[in-house]
Amino acid sequence: MAIAVFFFFAALAIVGGVGVVTFHQPIRSVLSLVVVMLSLSVMFLLLSAQFVFAVQIIVYAGAVMVLFLFVIALLGPARELGRGRLRFQASLSILFVLALFGVMYALIQGIEYRQPDQADLSFFGSVQSIAVGLFTTYLYPFELTSILLLVAAIGAIYLSRKRIDDL
Amino acid sequence: MSTLSIGGQQLDASWFLLLSAILFVLGAVGVLVRRNPLVILICIELMLNAANLALVTFSRQLQNIEGQLFALMSMTVAAAEAVVGLAILVDIFRARDVEDVDDLSELKG
Repeated sequence: MAIAVFFFFAALAIVGGVGVVTFHQPIRSVLSLVVVMLSLSVMFLLLSAQFVFAVQIIVYAGAVMVLFLFVIALLGPARELGRGRLRFQASLSILFVLALFGVMYALIQGIEYRQPDQADLSFFGSVQSIAVGLFTTYLYPFELTSILLLVAAIGAIYLSRKRIDDL
Repeated sequence: MSTLSIGGQQLDASWFLLLSAILFVLGAVGVLVRRNPLVILICIELMLNAANLALVTFSRQLQNIEGQLFALMSMTVAAAEAVVGLAILVDIFRARDVEDVDDLSELKG
């Protein structure tokens, strides 16, 4: 069952990823990305990361994607022209990216996995275990991310304000 | 090879890593090939998601919660990145119509 679920959602994620890259209208790319994110959330569930699963659906597939859809609705449906200033950019970039994939594949094959101490899987990945890590050892980075979010919010408001000379 | 026991069945950890690598590479292709700045931002989100999958996979394999914590932090950073990137994009589009990132190649206001 778990293997069938893995391969179904892995195929769905790859199809969605291809859709993100190949669709010409940005709105279709965004909807394909939602498919990828929902498939990845199932992967997180398979890896017993329940809290990351919930955050992935609420924050990513929910908030961030709605933000993208709003911006597309605001800017109107821009179609992409098939021209580029660099003639060989597409073919060269695919070549380099294939080389990158080869390196990553070799790295994955070469990993020597360490056998872990057996932890309790019913506790692992739950909200309690995340909170214990987040509010003890990693309290300082956690507070820093809240400052980062505040800075990002202020920056976004500043950038999208109405200019005085526009009025 | 390391197998993870999930729901009574054995799944290989490297399958998850391979899926993560494929999605990361697809996102990289999108960033390099696509011309629309909005689609480039979308492809960056795809790459960040692929990295998160690798983090959570290693977290599960080592049964160490820190990978999941780092994935959560990277989600926060990705959300901040999307907000600021889209705000800059809206600001640029307000000034002029851009359908190609190469139209923005000069450093003038």
